[in-house]
This record gives sequence, structure tokens and C-alpha cells, in this order.
Amino acid sequence: MKYAFFPGCTMANRLQFAEKSVRMIVPEFGVELVDLAFTCCPEPNAVRSLSEDTWVTFAARNIALAEAENLDILTACAGCHESLTLAKHELDTKPERKEKANEILKGMGLEYKGTSSIIHVHQLLFDEIGVETISAKVVRPLPIKVVTHSGCHLLRPQKILQVDDAEVPVKLDMLCEALGMDPLEYMDKVMCCGAGVRKTDSDTSYAVLKEKMTSMVMVEPDAIVVFCPTCFITFESGQRITNRLFKTEFKLPVFYYTELLAIAMGLPDTDALLADHRVKIELPEFSDTKKEDSESIPT
Amino acid sequence: MVDNSHNQELEDLREAARPCFQCGICASSCPVFRVAPEMNPRMSVDSIITDGQVPAEGNEWLCAYCLMCEERCPMGVSLTEILMGIRNISSKEGKAPPDFVESAEALLARGCLSPTSNRSVKKRVDLGLPDLPQPDPEHVKLIFEVTGAYEVLEANRVAVKEEAE
Amino acid sequence: MTTRDPKDSSSESTKVEVVSTAPELRIGVFPCKCGKNIGAVVDIDSLAEYAKTLPGVVFVQVNRYTCADPGQREIEDAIKEHRLNRVIVASCSPTMHEDTFRKAVKAAGLNPYLCIMANIREHVSWVHRDDPDAATDKAKNLVAMAVARAATLEAQKEQDVPVTQAALVVGAGVAGMQAALDLADAGFKVYLVEREATIGGIMALLDKVFPQNDCSICILGPKMVDVAKHPNINLITMAEVETIAGYVGNFDVRVKQRARYVDFEKCTSCGDCVEVCPVDVPSRTDQSLTWQKAIQIPFPQAVPSSYFIDPKSCLGMDLIRCGKCIDRCEQEAIVSSDTDHYIDFEVGVIILATGFKPASPEKIPRLGWGRYPNVITSLEFERLINAAGPTEGNLVRPSDLTKPTSVAIAQCVGSRNIDTRSGCSNFCCAESVKCALLIKEHYPDTEVTIYYQDLRMHGKYFEDQYLKAREEGVKFIRGRVGEIQQYPKTKNLRVSVEDTTHNKLQLLEYDMVILSMGAEGQSGNFPLPISCTADSFYIESHPKLRPVDTSSAGVFICGGAESPKDIRDSVIQASAAAGRASIILQKGRYPIEALSARIMQDKCNRCGTCVKRCPYGAISEDGTGKFTVMGALCQACGTCAGDCPPDAIYMPNFTSEQIEAQIEIALAERPEEKIVAFACAFCSYRGSDLAGISRMQYPANARVVRSMCSGRYSTKFAQKAFELGAGAVLYSGCHLQTDCHFQTGNHWMVKREPRIRSWMKRNNIDDERFRVEWVSAGEGKKWQTIMSEMSEVTERHKKSQPKLKKPIAKPKVKSKPKAKPKSKTATKLKKTKSKSNSTKKNATTKKKTTGRK
Ligand SMILES: Cc1cc2nc3c(=O)[nH]c(=O)nc-3n(C[C@H](O)[C@H](O)[C@H](O)COP(=O)(O)OP(=O)(O)OC[C@H]3O[C@@H](n4cnc5c(N)ncnc54)[C@H](O)[C@@H]3O)c2cc1C
Ligand code: SF4
Ligand code: SF4
Ligand code: SF4
Ligand code: SF4
Repeated sequence: MKYAFFPGCTMANRLQFAEKSVRMIVPEFGVELVDLAFTCCPEPNAVRSLSEDTWVTFAARNIALAEAENLDILTACAGCHESLTLAKHELDTKPERKEKANEILKGMGLEYKGTSSIIHVHQLLFDEIGVETISAKVVRPLPIKVVTHSGCHLLRPQKILQVDDAEVPVKLDMLCEALGMDPLEYMDKVMCCGAGVRKTDSDTSYAVLKEKMTSMVMVEPDAIVVFCPTCFITFESGQRITNRLFKTEFKLPVFYYTELLAIAMGLPDTDALLADHRVKIELPEFSDTKKEDSESIPT
Repeated sequence: MVDNSHNQELEDLREAARPCFQCGICASSCPVFRVAPEMNPRMSVDSIITDGQVPAEGNEWLCAYCLMCEERCPMGVSLTEILMGIRNISSKEGKAPPDFVESAEALLARGCLSPTSNRSVKKRVDLGLPDLPQPDPEHVKLIFEVTGAYEVLEANRVAVKEEAE
Repeated sequence: MTTRDPKDSSSESTKVEVVSTAPELRIGVFPCKCGKNIGAVVDIDSLAEYAKTLPGVVFVQVNRYTCADPGQREIEDAIKEHRLNRVIVASCSPTMHEDTFRKAVKAAGLNPYLCIMANIREHVSWVHRDDPDAATDKAKNLVAMAVARAATLEAQKEQDVPVTQAALVVGAGVAGMQAALDLADAGFKVYLVEREATIGGIMALLDKVFPQNDCSICILGPKMVDVAKHPNINLITMAEVETIAGYVGNFDVRVKQRARYVDFEKCTSCGDCVEVCPVDVPSRTDQSLTWQKAIQIPFPQAVPSSYFIDPKSCLGMDLIRCGKCIDRCEQEAIVSSDTDHYIDFEVGVIILATGFKPASPEKIPRLGWGRYPNVITSLEFERLINAAGPTEGNLVRPSDLTKPTSVAIAQCVGSRNIDTRSGCSNFCCAESVKCALLIKEHYPDTEVTIYYQDLRMHGKYFEDQYLKAREEGVKFIRGRVGEIQQYPKTKNLRVSVEDTTHNKLQLLEYDMVILSMGAEGQSGNFPLPISCTADSFYIESHPKLRPVDTSSAGVFICGGAESPKDIRDSVIQASAAAGRASIILQKGRYPIEALSARIMQDKCNRCGTCVKRCPYGAISEDGTGKFTVMGALCQACGTCAGDCPPDAIYMPNFTSEQIEAQIEIALAERPEEKIVAFACAFCSYRGSDLAGISRMQYPANARVVRSMCSGRYSTKFAQKAFELGAGAVLYSGCHLQTDCHFQTGNHWMVKREPRIRSWMKRNNIDDERFRVEWVSAGEGKKWQTIMSEMSEVTERHKKSQPKLKKPIAKPKVKSKPKAKPKSKTATKLKKTKSKSNSTKKNATTKKKTTGRK
């Protein structure tokens, strides 16, 4: 399997270790990544707000790049995934849109045809590779309690994205279980982390985050698992600001799922991934379990 | 304000909003409404239907674009499309929030929203990540030009200046 | 399907005999003055003179008031004296007096179907008052058209079929029970078929019933016993209808009854068996809130009062696998050899009372039912608060069996949502107020809040209930619940709702939430083609005037199967359906449509299009590729004929030949000035009549061709009219979507429009010369507007025509081989034309001179 990899601006420039973890695990499942000269997806909130046309044309150009190489696109950020998928939906269902976009793309020697599909790492792992294959590769189970947050832009609109159930998402939980983790049910599981309003009203944004994390800590998890760099940053850096603004005391480590996957698969150099985490995980079991479980595997 | 395209855009929004029967499910699902009572998606839809106007308060910019409201609306009203439509209209009038304008400027300058700093480049090198191929700046400019993004940007730059004065 | 059809065309020769038995055409024409109504505008004497010249006309008599007794008697006398075998009354609209005159000719021994009318009042004198010349011309033309049609009219037997005096009632909820009891009390035999092991339906599961909140089983129980004991009711439980063949009066029914494994004659419902049965399964009656055994009785008051074995959960009724109950039963009531079997019988009428099913909360995951134990449905609540239920009437939280101190009720769950059902479910608002009152009655301290979008307390006594609930301290908040989340430790629930009256979010904690479930339709899987709404409720024949009839004669609907409703409305409908059904049963014979379609087997190319067109399922293929119409089911709309590619369907008295003959006559002179307007009998023709009744004036160039339904207008009628040079053509029907008297005729008609238009394009005919319109019986004004607008079209068209000195259509017609030279009509027609041309000229000149007197 070969994909045009679309890490997105946020992951490439601010969450490099998450990008690294994706690049680390995919070869293990026989997946090859190709880098293309993509622009920003573009970010669905800001750019689309200014001009719908601009948004859809940028997306058309990105998809057309992959189509020219006969490749499907693999996204790693929920925002990019949503933006590209919704734009593709627009282009595929409204011929006049497609025509208009193609007139512009012609000037770049490109054409949007609608032949490439767009999948997120979440879908690659759950739908293409499968939980069983993944758990078979686990050499170092991670017995920690986690709360998962799939991200608004992977869940909604469910009819178009079809990643998981928009109200009761379970797939990321199942992926976590495959690594030996214990995913906990918590209130407000499908609620937004608040990232979307940070640019217009940061206080409101952190108020949303506070609501979300209050529900999370109610079940006393060890960590949060996400599948989007923007959600990652919101939870990880945002909790400090929230603590300052609202006198809360959140201190929850955050992981991009493939980081944990790389660790559980026992891949080398995973320490480099965790080095940049701002809320460190202080779980001694991490090293302990390695021994215990690698022993228990033959049984 | 006798711009016809503007009226057409409003008319399209009204058409999209019309099925709403004011049940309040959208508002009760909105994470922003939960913490900022002035942002009520139901009221935004209502003002389009009843007043035939873009809501004056500018609350559309408070939407986090989480799509919760839209997912649950029992009448299939596409609230985020409506809110986006309202934003598009406001943007043309130069009312876009400065941070969004900045994002667009970044996109224009680099084809990318997040700033690439020396630090971030170093991080990539340290982690052994590949250099990502860069988009042709001409492509970016072309899209801005043809889709009218320059004008929207300009409208907002002017607005910012006026405010300053 | 059976072939006991008295009019089944398969038994007839494939050639359809067109002309009646009389050897020679003897047409009588009776122009009427209608006092001054017609006489003051149309020159009736000149019309009479003209009529005499028409082919086949042997007698003409003018009358002042033909519909009055003397007028009718004159028709009768003339028929006898002049041996008339066709009668044309040129007077008012057929909608007005066709029946009257048909009775008159019948009295004289002539078949009533051989009498037709020419509408020279509503279509002529009343609408062309200011142009007597044109009016007289048009009247003559209309009479000539009627004469042309009369030539091939066919005598029809007025038929009826015998009715088997028994009824099938499907579904034994409160509605089915009521219908069965009413019919049985009236003395008719009733087969009552119920799917479950007991009768009673949803009502048998309820605790108290609004609006009086009386005990449900206390009022239903005695009725259930009445059903069981009634000598005229044959109750068949655990059964479903497998097939139905035949038609009104004569339905052959086959019912499949599942094995009960317990002889209900012997079973005393002692319940000993239950003590030994080792299998536990979730209880159906109690909505899976508790357990029951593989051998079970739905509830103590069940009818028949007998246990049954659920074979899916039973371990095996033999001593090796289990068989414990057999051992235990002292009555020896258990029949392990029982099998599913068929029961066949005949009935004359059918009543469908299959109810609805409570909507499924699984489809609305945001409300947490199924994941959060303390979110329950209203039906689950009914079981919990019911003294005979799993908790003996104690309302407890399923999670910890404690008494809830705060309860929220969420309205419109499964209703008013385009993803589930867009309609309102009608009973759930009142149901919730009842729930609130029941909780307050048992536990006055428990706080109850109802979240509603629009509280619809529309029924008699309902508002009192609402006031009472307010007095009891029940809170009502306007806003629909967006989501329910469960607190992880306490399993309490957080309800998110916007109080839309105050634009405020409410995030409140409750011990328990009741989802007020709407109804889901479950109709449509019955082995009879009865149309259903998109959400699977049966569609009534007319929403206001025939609310319990269906489009299939002899089949009636009532209760929840028709739409969600409460008990009272279900019972009202059930009695109404029984009343309607007993009219048929009482008479013993049922008249059937005389004009039913017939398939000319020698022309039929076996394409099967007609089967898809027929809204009544009247056409079927017999297995050998032969298609036949079951006359008793056909309602004579002609939609099948309208689309039959080889024109192989014969619509008696609305044959293609007759319609084309009318077109030819209408266009015999100055065709470019004429509008050929097709109008359906139930809407558009009546609309055109209304224009007349309202004296709305319009140009005199339209010629209306009437048919039963717009579904009859095939593409070739418009083509024919244009080929003959018509200035404009109108196809007018009942309004889309639902006005068509024959359900879908207008839908099929409008599908032909693109084909007609592309044909016109190929033949360089201006688009504006053809119009499809929807005119209801109330739209006289619209008819007038259309006529005026289309006259402008013909004007324009005429101007664009190269000027002909004498535009006579005659040569054109002759050159058309399509005018069926072989048929008798065509030959006659030619005669008609040549005569009408010459006589007409005389007539007009004569009129002019006389007119100046
Ligand atoms: C939770 C709840 C509470 C309610 N409370 C009230 C109340 O307080 N007051 C009030 O007036 N109304 C109330 N109603 C409404 C009331 O239940 C209905 O009006 C009533 O049950 C309708 O009766 P029915 O006979 O038409 O249908 P049902 O009661 O549904 O009976 C239909 C019967 O047909 C059978 N059946 C279905 N399909 C077939 C088939 N193919 N072959 C054979 N048999 C079949 C079913 O097994 C069933 O026995 C309530 C409804 C619900 C869901
Ligand atoms: S959820 Fe839909 S119908 Fe309800 S208030 Fe919001 S937009 Fe209107
Ligand atoms: S998309 Fe915007 S308005 Fe809708 S729920 Fe999310 S934040 Fe609220
Ligand atoms: S009856 Fe009331 S609760 Fe039921 S659907 Fe109608 S409005 Fe909603
Ligand atoms: S389509 Fe109409 S005319 Fe034809 S068989 Fe059916 S009911 Fe009769």
C-alpha cells in the first residue's frame, strides 16, 4: 500500500514527534508514504470563513496533486481530513464547482478528477489493517487507563466522513484496547475540545476545554489519547492555560495514538517521541511491563 | 448595500434555514453556547428566517466549527454551512476577525498556516523527518487571485485601518 | 390470483367486438334549450337542422327542458318509436345530468351506456355569451364530435358480484377487537387473525390510560373475553395472513398459524409448567425488563387463556433434551407434535387493524437508551408502574432499584425528525402528561419535568389533564432534549436542553429519564397492494371523505395502522370501518365498474408496462406470458392504455378510436385556430364546468375531450392533434401530488410530457403550443385563464402560418394512413367530414341572415 502522505501544517511544524510516530509505524504494516508539494489543506475554519471558493480550490489542488500520481491521500490531522473530504464531497456532488475549480487548476497543469480517496490514519489502522493485526504486533502492552477523544472533524458529519459513530464512537477505544490499555467511558466524549474558537475568543475556547476536561478527570484516567495534532495541542498546552484562567488542576498526559502504538510495538527510539511532551507520563509500569509481557507472550 | 450577489447569498441562506422549527436541539448540543450564552446557533438561524438578516452581534465568529449542531438537527438544517455563509458575507464587509485574516495572509505568503521557524526545522532534522516539498508560490497566488480572496483580504485590511483611525 | 373474474377477458375472444348488437346505427339527438340558458345564445334550431345531416342520425328533437319529466319521456318514446340505439343529449355537462338521461334510456330498454352528452351549456352558451355565431358553430362541432364517438359506443353490462358474508379482521389490538365485535354483533361471521399469542395489542400492556387515567386492563379485559366467547368470531392467534386472492366480495384467504404446543382447550393456566421449565428468556410483555420461561403466557388476563411454548428457546419437548413441562402438566395439555399449519377460508371484506409499533430509541443514540440503564422508554415506564409488571408497580431505577427523586420526560423521541419519522405521533404528549401524573400520584415528592417542543394536548379532556399536571407541580419546559449523558459514578443522568422560552441552556441532573416514544408504521408487508405513506402507514381512499376506505374496494383500515392515534380514535375508526364493511356484507352483492379495461391479446406484445401503471394491481401475468385485467379490480382510469406501446388496451367507451374520432372532427375545419383540450372527469372537466357555472367568458376555439383520468392521455393523442394541424393542445389533470382520483394517473401523464416535447421539436412545432396543466374542480378561473392564454398561442401560430386561402383539413386527413382506413369509424368519419363541411357553411350563412331579423 502506498499513499500520498498529508501531515498538515500543524503536525509538520508543531507536532513533529507525532509525524515521526506515523512514519515509524506504517512500514511495519507494509505501507509506503510519498511526500508531495501540498499547501495547507486549507484549514476549514479560518480560510473557508473568508471565502468558500478559495477553500475549495486549495483543496482541489491538493487532491489533484495526488491524483496525478495515482495515489490515495493519507491524512494524519482531523482538520485536514475533514477539510479535504468535505471539499471532495462538494467537488464530486456539484459539477459546476468542479468545473470552476478545474478552470483554475488548468493554469497549473493540474486537473481534479475525483479519483483519489482520502483516508485518515485512524481509518488506515482500524478499517484497512484491523485491530487483530495490530494486537498481534504488540510486544509491550500498556496497562494504563485512558480517555479517548476522536475529534470533531473525524466524527462529523458522520454521513460524509463515515469514520465512526458520531454519537457513540468506539473504534479508537478498540484500537487502544489492542495495545492493552483500558479505555474509560466518560461524559461529553464527543464534545469539542474548543480549538475552533481559540483564534476568535481564546477565553471561550479554554472555557470549553475546561468543561471537556472536567468530564474526563471524573473517571480518573492516566492519559488522553487523540488522533489529531490540533486536539493534542489544545489538551496539552491548553490545560495549563485553563488551570491559570479557572484555577483548575488538570495534569493529564496526552498522546497521539501512533506514539503509543510505536511504543507498544517495541520500536526503537520511542524515547525521542516522548521527550517533547509537556505533561510527562510518570508510569513506572512502562519499563516493567516490557519485561513481564515479553515473557508472557509465548504462553 | 444594494449588492445583488449579497442578496442572493442571503436568499440561499434563508432557503437553507427554512426547515428549522426552533426545537433548540442545536443550541443544547453546542459546546460554545454552554460557556458563552450569547452564542446561540438556534438564534442565528432564527434571525435569518425571521429578520432576513445576518445577525448583527457577530456571534457567528464564535462557532468552533465542531458540527455538533448540524449532526443532530432533526430537520437536517446544515447549521455550519449557514454560519459559514454568514461569515462569508461578514468577511466581504470587512468584519473578519484579525486572527483569521492573519491565517489567510500566512496561507498567501507560505502556502501554510503554521509558522515555520528555525526551531521547527531543527526539530524535523533531529527527528530524522524528511524535508517536505514546497508548493509553487505562483499556484497560491493564482488561487487567491481567481477566487476573490485578495478582495476579501483587502476589505478586511481597510476595515482594520479604519478602526485604528 | 384466482381467475373467477366474471369479466375476465381471457375467456373472451381476442378480437374485441366494438359495435353493439344492433345491425344498423340509429342515433337520436336531443338538443336542449335549457330555457334561455342555452337557447338565448346558441341557435338551437339551426343546430337541430345540422344534426340531422350527421351520419347515423335518424331522429332529432329539440326540447325546452330535456331533463324535466316530459323531456325524459320524449326520449323514451323516441327510442321506442324510432328504434334508436344511440342517444345524444346536447345540453348541460355530463357531470350534471348524464345519470338522469342514462336512467331514462334504460327505462326505454336501451343500455344506459349507449347514451352520452354534448356539453353545450357549461362549455358553450355560458362561456361565449357575446359571440352567438361562434357559440353555435362550436355547439355544432361538439354534437358532431359526440356523434362520431357514439358510432362505436359499446353496451355495457351493469354488473355486480355476490358477496361472501364473512369478514377478515387482521390484528386484534383494541381496534381490531372493536371492528370484529361490531361485525359479529351485526350477525356476520368474523375471522380475527392475531400475530401474537394473545389479543389486546399495546393497550393490554399499559397501566392507566389517558385522558381519564382509568385502568387499562380493567376496561380491555372484559372486551377480550367478549371476543373469545362470541359465537360469530373465529379467533386465530399466533397467526399471520399468508396469501390473499380475489377481490371485493370474494377474497380467498390463507392464514398460517404457528404451533402453540399447548392445547388451549385443555390448559387451565395453572402455571405448574413454569415452575419446572429451566429456560429463562427476556420477557416480551415486560419489554425485557425481566425474565420469563420458554413455556409462557403473555399476562394473566391473556386471551386465549392458555400457555404456549416458544420453540426458539425451548430445549426440546422430549424426555432426552428436557420435556419437564410435559411431565408436570396434569391436564396433559402439552402437544409436542404440534406443527405450523394453514387455514383457508373465504371472506367478502377485509379490515386491517395491525397497529403501529412504538418507535425504536436505538435509532437516536444521543439519548443514551441502551447504554444508560436509567434512560427508559414510555412503554418500559408503563410496565414499571403497572401493578402486574416486573416491580409490582414500584417505580425504580433499573441501575440500582432505588426510587427516583427526579424524573425528566423527553418529548418527540422518534417523531418529528427527518431521519426517523417526520410526522407528529399524536398520542405521546398526552401519554407523557399521564406518566407525570402517575408518578406524582405514587410519589408526590418526586420532581417531574417535561421537556417538550410543542405540547399538543388536542383531544377532548386533554387540557384538563394538563392543568392538573401543572397543579401537581409538574414542570413544563419548552425545548427538545439535545443529549443525555450519564454521570459515571452515580449513574444519574445529565439532560442538556435549551429552554427556548428564555434562550438558556439547562444542564440538569436527574435520577431517571423517560423517552416519550412516538410510533413507527409497520404497514405495507401485507399480501395486498394497499398503498402506504413513506413512513409505512396505510393510505386512506380520501383523507376527509373516505378516511377508513382504501383504494382497494372491500378493504378497510382502522386504528394505529392508519396513523398514530390514541385508543378512543382507534375505536371510533374501528366502528366506522365495521360500519362501512357491513354495508357491503349486508347487500350481499357488490356492483363493479362496468367499463373495465381489456387487453387485446392479438396486439399485446407482452411488455408488461401496464402492470406497472395500474394503481389497483388489476393487471397480472398468468405465468404463460399472457396479461389479463381482473375486471373487478379495474377502476377504468385508463392509465394502462395511456402507456401501452402497441395500443393494445381497449378502454370501453374511451377507446383510442373514439378519442381520435373526436380529435378529427374537432379539427375538421380551421384546425390552426383550435385548442384540443383533454380534461379528466374528476378535476379538470369539473373545473371547466365551474368556469361555465361562474359565467367566465373565454374564446370559443377550445374543444374538450373528456376522459376518466389524465392517465388515459397517451402521447399519440397530442401527436395526432398536431398532425391534423391543431393550433394548441392541452393535457389537464388533477393536481400533483395527491389529487388524482385514481391515485397516480396524473404522475404517469406528466412523465409523457418530455416525450411529446421532443417529438414536437423534431417536427418543428413550437413548444408553447402544448401545455400540461393541473386544474382542480374549484379552479374555474384557472381554466378561463388557460383558455385565454392558449388562444393567444393559437393566434400567434395562425399568424406565423403561410396564408392559405381555404384552410381545409380534408386533404390532410385523407393523406394520413394512420386514420385507420379499415375501421368502420374511419369510413363513417369521412362521410361526416365532407357533409359537415358543406352543411356548416350553409348553416353559418343561414344563421347570419336569420340573426338580423
Ligand atoms: C407507551 C404507550 C402509551 C399509550 N398510552 C395511551 C393512553 O394512555 N391512552 C390512549 O388512548 N392511548 C394510548 N396509547 C395509544 C394506544 O396504544 C393505541 O391507540 C392503540 O394501541 C391502538 O390500537 P390498535 O388496535 O390500532 O393497535 P395495536 O394496539 O398496536 O394492536 C395491533 C395488533 O395487531 C397485531 N398485528 C400486527 N401486525 C399483524 C399482522 N401482520 N398479522 C396479524 N396481527 C398483527 C399486533 O400483534 C397487535 O396485537 C399509548 C401508546 C403507547 C405506545
Ligand atoms: S436543531 Fe435544527 S430545527 Fe432545531 S432549532 Fe436547531 S436548526 Fe432549528
Ligand atoms: S458547529 Fe458551531 S454552532 Fe454548531 S455546535 Fe459546534 S460550535 Fe456550536
Ligand atoms: S404528540 Fe407531542 S411528543 Fe408526540 S410527536 Fe407530537 S408533539 Fe411530539
Ligand atoms: S390502470 Fe386503470 S384502467 Fe388500467 S387496469 Fe388498472 S384500473 Fe383499470
